[in-house]
Amino acid sequence: MKILIVDDSSTMRRIIINTLSRIGYTDVVEGEHGKAGLEKLRQGGVEMIITDWNMPEMDGLEFVQAVRAQNASIPILMVTTNAAKEDIVQALQAGVNNYVVKPFTPDTLKEKIESLLG
Amino acid sequence: MDQTEIDALTVKGAKPKAAKGEPVPSAPKPPAPGPDRGTGQVPPDDPQGHVISELDAVTAVTERETNKVMDQLDLISSLVGTQQALITGVMQHPGAQDPSVQAAINQVMSAGKDIQNKVYEAMDLMQFQDITRQKLERIVHHLRQIHDYIVELLGTGLKSDTERPSISRTIASTGTVPDEKRVHADSVVEEYKRSQSKD
Repeated sequence: MKILIVDDSSTMRRIIINTLSRIGYTDVVEGEHGKAGLEKLRQGGVEMIITDWNMPEMDGLEFVQAVRAQNASIPILMVTTNAAKEDIVQALQAGVNNYVVKPFTPDTLKEKIESLLG
Repeated sequence: MDQTEIDALTVKGAKPKAAKGEPVPSAPKPPAPGPDRGTGQVPPDDPQGHVISELDAVTAVTERETNKVMDQLDLISSLVGTQQALITGVMQHPGAQDPSVQAAINQVMSAGKDIQNKVYEAMDLMQFQDITRQKLERIVHHLRQIHDYIVELLGTGLKSDTERPSISRTIASTGTVPDEKRVHADSVVEEYKRSQSKD
């Protein structure tokens, strides 16, 4: 199971990668913004996406819209500091499957990932 | 941030103060881009040494230093893993089969697991860096607005350089306690999904 993590914070990417490895997901690719994420996606093999919202170059919302334009089924989890109701709804409308507000606990991330992978 | 970096920021940030009654000096050159996020240094060609650049530099340095802490935590975690493997080896040794020795070794193993869990907890707490960075970016955004307003009002000086394209609008309300907003987010997601399934 290859998971793509898109976040401009290298610290946050490390934290997510660490959490994933603790729950058994070690095949991970990274992108520091939406454009880099799309490039990684083009390289193939990605089965799930975890993305931040606020990023330079291409933000998470634009990234999700671009992904959904070419792939309707890949599970997308948004992990962001944006906690307002209208933000969450906007992300869901763009095509994210679930939403985690930072800071999160590893249990929350695990639960969301497992529910998305069914 | 070490002393060299603080000195560099202080020198770059130092700007001669205008005496009372003197006109506000206009910026001599177009603003330079922000600091290198990797090094945290304000570029040498930044003539203004903006507070904005300094704040950007602070976030870059904290990110770099946080990663150093993460490196150390990774190392501790790996050392604990090595220790656990060694202890497992000792447990199988014929001379360690006495129940009291086995009990003592189990206690050491358990303590090792506790250390490992605490290391993971410390790693997870490093999320504060990303949240603090975004809060500072929001402050920078407001400072740019005030700066540009004053420039427009006085008709002198240059507007601030291009700002970071995507800044959280709601970072001020973002908590610092893990999962503080989880119930709220989950309820919005559930409500949205219910409304979609009805349609």
